[in-house]
Formats: sequence, C-alpha cells, structure tokens
Amino acid sequence: MRDYILIYVNGVRYQIRFPQARISLSDFLRRELGLIGTKIVCSEGDCGACSVLVGRARENELWYEAIDSCIAFLFQLDCTHIVTVEGLSKSGSMNDVQQALVDCHGSQCGFCTPGFAVALTALQENGCSGDADDMRVGLTGNLCRCTGYVSILEAGLTSHLTDDQWMDSMYPPERMLEDFYAHSAEDVVLVEEPSPQFLSKLASPASGSTNGQKAPVLPRVFCPVTLASALQVLRDSPQALVVAGATDIGVRVNKGQKLPDTILDLNRVRELEQLEIVDGRLVMGARASWTDLELLVRETIPEYYRIVKVFGAPQIRNMGTVGGNIINASPIADSLPFYFVMDAELELRSADGSRMVNINDFYQGYKKFDLQSGELLTRVTVPLPEKGELFRLFKVSRRLDLDISSFTAAIRLRLDGERIAEAALAFGAVAPTVLRARNTEQFLVDREFNEETMREAGELAVEEVTPISDVRGSEDYRLQLTRNVLMKFYLENQPDAVFV
Amino acid sequence: MSAIGKPLPHDSARGHVTGSALFIDDIPAQVGELHVGFVGSPVACGEIVRIDVKGALKTPGVVACYTAEDVAGHNVFGLIVADDPFLAREEVMYVGQPVVVVAAESPAALELGRRAVVIECRENTPVLTIEQAIAENRFLGPVRKIARGRVDENLASAPHRLSGTFKSGGQEQFYLESQAAIAYPGEQGQIVVHSSTQNPTEIQAVIAEVLGLGQHEVVCICKRMGGAFGGKETQAAIPAIMVALVASKTGRAARVIYSKDDDMCVTGKRHEYLTRWECGFDEGGQLLALRCEYFSNGGATTDLSPSVMERTLLHGDNAYYLPHVEFTGKVCFTNLPPNTAFRGFGGPQGMIVIENVLESIAEKLGMDALEVRRANVYEVSQRNVTPYGQVVDKNHLPEIFDTLTEDSDYKRRREEVAEFNAKSRLQVRGLALTGMKFGISFTTKFLNQGNALVNIYTDGTIQVSTGATEMGQGVNVKIRQLVADEFAIDPSRVLMMPTSTEKNNNTSPTAASAGTDLNGAAAVVACQEIKARLRKFAAEHLADSESGLVASPEHICFSDGSVHDERRPQVRIPFEQLCEDARRDRVDLGARGFFATPGIDFNRETGRGTPFFYFTQGAAVSEVVIDRFTGEMRVLRCDLLIDIGRSINPGVDRGQIIGGFVQGMGWVTNECLIYNEKGELLSHSPTTYKIPAVTDIPPEFHVRMFPNYDNTQNIGSSKAVGEPPLMLALSVWAAARNALSYIKPGAELDLKSPATGEEILRVLTGLQMDSKPAHSSEIAIPRR
Repeated sequence: MRDYILIYVNGVRYQIRFPQARISLSDFLRRELGLIGTKIVCSEGDCGACSVLVGRARENELWYEAIDSCIAFLFQLDCTHIVTVEGLSKSGSMNDVQQALVDCHGSQCGFCTPGFAVALTALQENGCSGDADDMRVGLTGNLCRCTGYVSILEAGLTSHLTDDQWMDSMYPPERMLEDFYAHSAEDVVLVEEPSPQFLSKLASPASGSTNGQKAPVLPRVFCPVTLASALQVLRDSPQALVVAGATDIGVRVNKGQKLPDTILDLNRVRELEQLEIVDGRLVMGARASWTDLELLVRETIPEYYRIVKVFGAPQIRNMGTVGGNIINASPIADSLPFYFVMDAELELRSADGSRMVNINDFYQGYKKFDLQSGELLTRVTVPLPEKGELFRLFKVSRRLDLDISSFTAAIRLRLDGERIAEAALAFGAVAPTVLRARNTEQFLVDREFNEETMREAGELAVEEVTPISDVRGSEDYRLQLTRNVLMKFYLENQPDAVFV
Repeated sequence: MSAIGKPLPHDSARGHVTGSALFIDDIPAQVGELHVGFVGSPVACGEIVRIDVKGALKTPGVVACYTAEDVAGHNVFGLIVADDPFLAREEVMYVGQPVVVVAAESPAALELGRRAVVIECRENTPVLTIEQAIAENRFLGPVRKIARGRVDENLASAPHRLSGTFKSGGQEQFYLESQAAIAYPGEQGQIVVHSSTQNPTEIQAVIAEVLGLGQHEVVCICKRMGGAFGGKETQAAIPAIMVALVASKTGRAARVIYSKDDDMCVTGKRHEYLTRWECGFDEGGQLLALRCEYFSNGGATTDLSPSVMERTLLHGDNAYYLPHVEFTGKVCFTNLPPNTAFRGFGGPQGMIVIENVLESIAEKLGMDALEVRRANVYEVSQRNVTPYGQVVDKNHLPEIFDTLTEDSDYKRRREEVAEFNAKSRLQVRGLALTGMKFGISFTTKFLNQGNALVNIYTDGTIQVSTGATEMGQGVNVKIRQLVADEFAIDPSRVLMMPTSTEKNNNTSPTAASAGTDLNGAAAVVACQEIKARLRKFAAEHLADSESGLVASPEHICFSDGSVHDERRPQVRIPFEQLCEDARRDRVDLGARGFFATPGIDFNRETGRGTPFFYFTQGAAVSEVVIDRFTGEMRVLRCDLLIDIGRSINPGVDRGQIIGGFVQGMGWVTNECLIYNEKGELLSHSPTTYKIPAVTDIPPEFHVRMFPNYDNTQNIGSSKAVGEPPLMLALSVWAAARNALSYIKPGAELDLKSPATGEEILRVLTGLQMDSKPAHSSEIAIPRR
C-alpha cells in the first residue's frame, strides 16, 4: 500500500501525498510548479484553455490524450505523465504545431492558444487523419473568441510533428513505464496525518461507539487496484464519494462545493474498463471512457456514434465514463434515451453480491435512483437494434458541439410491412428523469407507419412529458420538440428524403 | 523593401504558443502578496441595511475588508456621467454590484472570507427590461436624434408602408482572460498597477481619484490582454481600484482575478435593443422614408451608453441611402450591470434593424432582397449623403455589391435554394447578401488623438511606446511595421513596449477600431522627427566637397537598412552606424509624436456633422439550412468581401475579419443572455452561454479583401478593421429570415436576434399554425 500518488510532469517525477493530492491538476501546475502556460478561464471543462496531455500506460506504451486540467484532481492521475504547453517542445524551441500556429496567425490574444497547441499536438499523437472534419471534431473542446478558428484549423492541417517532436522522442517512455508498472499493483490510500486534536478526540470517551456516535474519520482518498478492494472500501465507507472521470464533481468543487472527505477513486480499476460487442449486445464496464466508446461505435453503431461524437468534447470524453453519465442521473444525460429504448441492463455490485436492473426501473425521481449503500454500478449491457428496425437518436442543443442538451429523444420501431409491430420512445430533458412514453408506444403498435399516425403520436407524446423552462429552453420549446420529433423521424425514414 | 503589407506574425505569437507570454495572473507573486475579491449585492435593486464583515475578518488568512466608508477620495466615477460607484454605499443597483472588498493571504482564505461577509438589503422590485423601463419612463441621459427631410409626409405618400418592432439581444464579450489587476505599493503612497485594460489612462485617473492621489502618483501598465472586445474599455476600472485600494491600505502587493462566472454576472455587455420602425417604399423597393425609435438597455449606470446610442443613430442607415429619415434613441435605465462597449459599439444594433426592414420589404414585394438592397445602396456621385450630412466619400459599395454577387455565385445559388426548399420537407435553406459601412473615428471628438514615444539605440534598434493596448488585434506588429518602414529596417529591430501611462500620457482607450490609425500615425510622426535630424546629420556626413556634393538633407534616403545620398547611392551608411555616430555628434535619437485626426466634428445637439475620418465598407453572403422540426440552424457557406484599404498586415487583418465575423455570427445566432425575474444572470459561463465553436464555422468560407488604395488620408492608406467585420455577420441572420420566408410566402415574419434554434422553431410553429388556424395543433408540412 502506498500513501502517495506518482506523477510525472514534463518528464519530472513527483510523489504527491495528502492533502495536496486533492487539489486540481491545474492548481498544482500553476501554483505549485509555476507552469503558468496552462490557462484558467471557465473552471468547468467548457473552454479547453487548461488542456494538458496525459500519458497513460497501456500495453507497454504511453498513450497521450488531452484533458482539461482544471477539473481533474491529482488523485485521479496516479502513474501518468502530464505534459503541459511548456513541455511540448524543448525549451526555446517550438514543435511543428506551435510553429504552424505562429505562421498561420493562429493566435491573437493568446489566452486560448496554449490549449489549442496541446489539443492539436494530441490530435497528431492520436493519429488524427488530417482531414478537416476530423480536425474540427478534435478541436471542439477548445474555445477561441478572437480568431474565428480558421487560422487555427489551417495550422492544424499544415503541421506535422517531426520525429524528434513526438512525445515518445521528447520523453522516452521506458523509464516512466518501468516506474509505473513497479507501482501499479499497490492500492493507494491517501490519508491525512492525524493531528493531535484528532488523536485526542479518538481518545476521549465521548467518541466511542458506545453512545451511538460514529468515531471521527480522517479524510482519505482510496485508489484501489481491484474491483474487490473497491467494493471492500465501499462496504467499510459507504459514505465515500465514488469518483471516476470527475467531470461533474470537478466542476462543482470549482464552483464552491466542498470535496467530500472520503473518496473512492476508480481510475486504477482495470476490471471496469471492459468494452465490447458480444452477441448483439454492447457491453460496457462502468469506467469505460467515452473516447474508447467513440472508437468502438464509430463503425459498429453509427447512430449512437452521432451522439457520442458530440458528447462533451475530446477532453471530457478522455476522462468521462459510461457509468458516470448513468449515475450522475441527469434527465439531460445524452446516453440515456438510447439505453431506455433498448432496455439496457445495469449490473450493480457490492461486496456481498450483484444484481441486474433494467434501466427503465432504475431512476426514481430527479437524481434519485435504485442504488443501495455499498453498491457500485459495474457494467451496462445494451441489446442492439436488430436489422430492419428503424432507430434514431436525437439531441437538440443550442450549439451543436460541447453543449448540454435542451432536448433528447430515442425512437425505435419494428415494422411488419407497413404496420408498426413494436415501438419504443424515450425522451430526455422534458421531465425529472429520462422517460419512456408508454402511452404513445401503445398507440403506435398495430398502426400503419404513416404521417397521420406520427402526427397523432406527437400529440400524445406531448401529454406524457412535463418539461420546465430553464436556461436551456422554454417549456413551449420542449413541448414543440416532443411533438415534432415523431414526424421528423417519419420523414427521415422515407427513402426519398431530401436534406443537406 | 517595405515592411508594410507583409503578413508578419503577431508580435507575441511565439510567447502565446509556448505559454511564455505573461498575462496578469501569470506574473509571479511578490512576497506577502494578497489575493483580492469582492462580495456583491444580493439583490438587483434595494438599500443596504447592514454590512457585517466581522465573520470574514475572523476567518484565518483574511487580512482586510473594505467598504465605501474606507474610500478616501471619490467613490463615484464615470467617463460621460459620474454615476458609477466603485463600492455601493447605500443603494444597490444590480445583482453582484461590488459592496465589500476582501483581501486574504490565499485564494482559499479569500473564498472563505467572501462567504463570511453578510450584506443585508431591503429589496425593491427591479426594473430589468426595456419594456418595463419605457413604461416607467426610466432613461439615462438625453434623447438623441438624427433626422433629415420630411418623414411623415413621405410615409403618407409612399405606395407601400410597413412597420414593426425589432429586438436584438445583448452579448457577453467573453474575453478569455477575465478582469484582472495587480497593484504594487510604491514609495510615499504611490501606486503601480498592472491592469488588463484597454484604457490605462482611465485606470490611472480613477485610481488617483479614489485614493485621493495626484495622477502623477499612479502608473498603469498593460502588457497585453487576453481579449477585451470593448469589455475592458471602462469596466477594467473597478477591479483595478480594488487592488489599488488594498495595496495602498496594507502596503502589500494585491491581485484580483475575477472568476469567469463573477465576470459574466457583474460586468456590462453589448446593449440589448428594442426598435420601433416604420418605412415607406416604392414598387422597386426603394426606401422613401424611414423612422426608427431605438431603445437600448443601458443598465444601472451611464457608462458609455449615450455614446453607444449615438453610434447606433449614426449607423441606422448602414450602407443605404435614406432620403427622408428620423432616428431617435433613448437609453433605458434598468437594474442590470451597466452595459458597455462591445465591438461595433451600437453600430450592429442599428444596422440589423435596417437589414430587417429591407428583408421585410423584399418579402412584401415578392422580390429578392438583394434587388431591394441594390436599389438602396449608397451611390457614388448622387444619393451619397448620410442622414447626418457627411458625404460617403470614395464610396465603393455598389462595386462591392456587384463583385460579391458575382463571386459568390449568388443568382445560381438563389435558384438552388428555391428548388431545394420546394423539395425538402425536412429542411429549409436561406440565402442573403447584406452590406456594411462603418464610420471610423471616436464620435467624441477629443478622443481622436494619440501619442507615441520612439527611442532609437546606438545599435540601430528601436523601442516604441504608444497608448495603444494589445488585446490580440495585432496593433503592436502593425505599428512595428510602420516604424520599420519609416527607417527602412527589418521589423525585428523594432520592439513594442508595454503600454504605460509613464511613457504615454493622456491616451485614448484602444477602441473604435482606431488603435493603429491614431497610435500608428503618432509613431510615424515621431519617426519623421527623428528622421529629419538624422537626415541633416547624414547629409553632412555624406557631403563630399571634392565631387561637389553639398550637404542636402532632402536628398538623404533610408533604404534597405542604410542611409545614402540619392545623388551618390554607392556610398551607404548602415543604419546602426548612423545611430552610433549621431549620438556621438549629440543628435537626439528619441522623439514623441502626436497625432490628432483632422477634419472631423459632430454636433450631437443638431445631429449633424462629419463625425468620421472615413468609412470601412464591405458586404457578405451567407447561406444557412434550418431543420423544419427542431429549428436548428447550420451555416453552410459564407463569402465576405471587405474594403480595408491597403492592408498593413494582411495576416493580422484576415484574422480580424474572420474573427469579427464569427463573433457577429455568435451575436445573431446562439449567444443568449438569460436573466431570471430577480435580475440574476443564468447564462454566466460557457456551459450555458454558447459562443461559436469550431464546428460552427461554415464549411465553405471565402474571405476576400477589396483592392483599394484610395484611403490616402489614413496611415499607410489603410483602413480600420477591428469592428467592421462583425457586422458582415448580419448576413447570417438575414439568411435565417430568408429561409423562414419560404415556409409561407407573403406571411409576416417576426424573427428576433439572436436566431437561436428555439427562436426559429417559435417562428416556424407560428407560421404553420397561422396557415391552418382551425387546427392549430396540426403541423403543416408542404405537400410533395
């Protein structure tokens, strides 16, 4: 067992203990290491100015991806190599991305620029095709207010890292990998040094369990390696906040919420990374990352890929997890309508055993769900639409990319000739939870799939939702979207549909 | 070999891309430096009943809390009207208005200290909207008016008339570097402030006022800003005063960095507008008379609102001739943070109204809106006088319109759009060409001045200091090129120094697109003064009695890094040697240049004059596609053509054009400020406030500069480029409106700006309901 996390920054090794390990990566870089090239703008993972590369060990290599350092806690990053803008090139020089940004007038005020330099370098590290569309998708996590992006895209499209500019050349991975693997088997527990006051409290008779009061607990962060030990932690400390990607709690802490004292970090639990399609089912470990999911579904489930592609941004997808989106339990969670219409199964485990729950039975109200004390979401299994089924996912947001949905929907129909044999409809952002429109589904079954049916279904669907007005859209807007989406679905499924 | 016209990189580009360019929060902390923040009003309107800082002062690490009572000098300031309190004393006028300044040893202690401050208010009902302010007759400053001809008469006699109201929303500047400042206490009460400001002179002045110091005891420095866009013209003042106050009281360095949320919640933005308009026009769509009554949402204090409104009135015509016209403007006094400058400065709000009017006319007459615009655009030798009496001199608008119509393949695409719309039941496309004419100069005459300090060293290198602040727009590299060009040396030998009130006094804000015009011209004046001295010295040096070459400064040329007498070009003195020799001969190698824009004046009482030195002009074509069922819009293609004269740096200028356009696109599409009924901003961070992202950029995007070297009165025959391109984005909004006009031809359209998906769906739904009023819940879909 270790009481520190091991991290490299621009090739330099650090061992970080409690309480420092609880601060954000960006605070560590800027305030403690003086690496001020990493900029802070929004503190919520929505602008990318704080982007850094994180190199993680995978199959004896270091894989570098861009993440938002402002919403990543150090404790999530054990055995990683962080490269900041200062580390992209040797001191006094520029890598080809940086040079191209200079040559193409890719910087104006310069405040977003370090983030773009990092994101563009990450794209090259990850083998971005160099196709303009891929480049755009790869840069959706970075906002620029000055340039209008064109010059930045030009820099991206014309730059090519030279052999000595790849991360593996700049920072030979062997020594770091050796170090990481040497430390990979131990659980990490970061714990506060007990203060004299704490010890005296422990000693005082009032603190004993005899009077029903709980013994004081020292703040601590558990970073176990195995699922078994993670479940053990949850059994012993059921109050622990479970953290995987932290893309939500990271924001909330930056906006003033206190980070809970006890934390169970899942970032080192490899057993939760499973991601595959088996027997027509998509099987996802709870900690599978959105980026890995994106790679998997791009060819295999193109309809889901359309949603995954605009889920957050690359930096968020590189941290955020499949399970996080489910347990965060937001009615606007992008992944949920799909799971709802497919009757996805959730595997919930505790130290005592496991059970399966249909996702349609999981949510009980706004941010309320059927997860018992000591239980952890471990796996999600989604049966995939069968061939010939009509299946569409919808996400409406103010901005196409990196935006939270104003409205989501999933529609799945099985036709028997012209007749609708089966129907599943799910809507998000129109009620306290994502919901299935059961009445509308019933109405649809056995009816002919035509405009009249879908128009009437739209009117029925409106009766099943209870949207509110908020910053992302008015009640009327959401009702109208609910009404319209069925007809949109119908027309999109016509063979002669005309669209750009 | 001239340095002018070269696409040199931004002077800080290398620092930007390597992360070594320092912004305010990147400056290393001094020992003992304090972290400063504030606690603002919990209500939008009310009286302060109690301020309790005892709890905050007990918080470990909190060093001090200050209120208005702690301000020695004036607590109220303002450029136009002194009505802007630094810290609210009795009355609070908007949510978040600073009341208490807190200084602490660490960011964590500051946060705890801020939370421990108690401000109790007696809450009154706030006035938040333009409509409420009109109803309650709450206005800031006088009513302004620009008028010509006989409007009523010509409205009455016009063959066609239309009228309506138009709303455009506000816009957050969304500079990436939030408001920030650091103050260092100097000797004997003096203060040095580093501020992220467009206006160091103003910062210097208000700090002196608030602290009761002489202006000579305050230095304000701005190395660079991480974006500003107008948002740091006046509103950098309050944070700068906060740290100056703390530094002055504690004798310790003090730093304030607003969080993005705080910044968005408490600082002013682009003014939201409501405009009532009526117009008369003939069969060909030519405007016979136009009346517009503009109301802006000024917020709680005057700030720059009257000037912003003035520019609205001066741009109500945009690119179009108006024979009979009446524009009036009123600034509404509401309980929002004081709205302020933002790229375009009221111009966009005026221009979008007339573009809306022209689209309405086209729809009414069943004409292509381009024909309507072409019938109204300012002409060259007639129909070329603005409503305020300034002649649109050297007007290229007709040529720009025709060139762009051709280059963008407008006519063919119009047919394509119509054909697509007839076929597609899922989507509808729209196409529009809009014009742009933007007046260059501050409309407040005295601000049209600049000064510059040019220091040459004996190795032939040069430091230049001006009042221009660098916010990303590339003013530094442009001035560098102008100075290098004067001495015919490589631009790398010229360095732009941080903007400091110590080097340049009484400067104007870097604003009104005039940064390079004013400060570049002043720098050239300084260069010419030094050149005159160097010519005289070189003439004597190069004179040769044997060959009968008498000293003649007029014949001295600066070229290719050296100096020669043009009568004997084979003898050249390298520039650095000339400088070394000149110093030894006691020639002054430094000069201060001053420039005041000639020939401009404007009488705001009569609404007449020549407020502008010249006009930057252009036009743009945009094409959009809208989802008929969700209202979602994508911009498919944009073609911009803009006349910025002879570009000093085409690389930088292209960046300004594209960047400005995209910012304007944000204003007319997705950027929405949403307040609740208490006056709290709900869209206060990028999660909820959506500026354009990279995928919003049109996949087909053509940007061209209109070749034009006739703007000879301005520095280098260039034209200002900062603000004008933003207004080319009105074409995106007009294209959205055009798309909607296909849904139910001839129906009245009421599309606001921004044209968000929600707004578009609202209009779509309304059009479809109107078409079948008996079955209002049905969705009308065009039949195939």
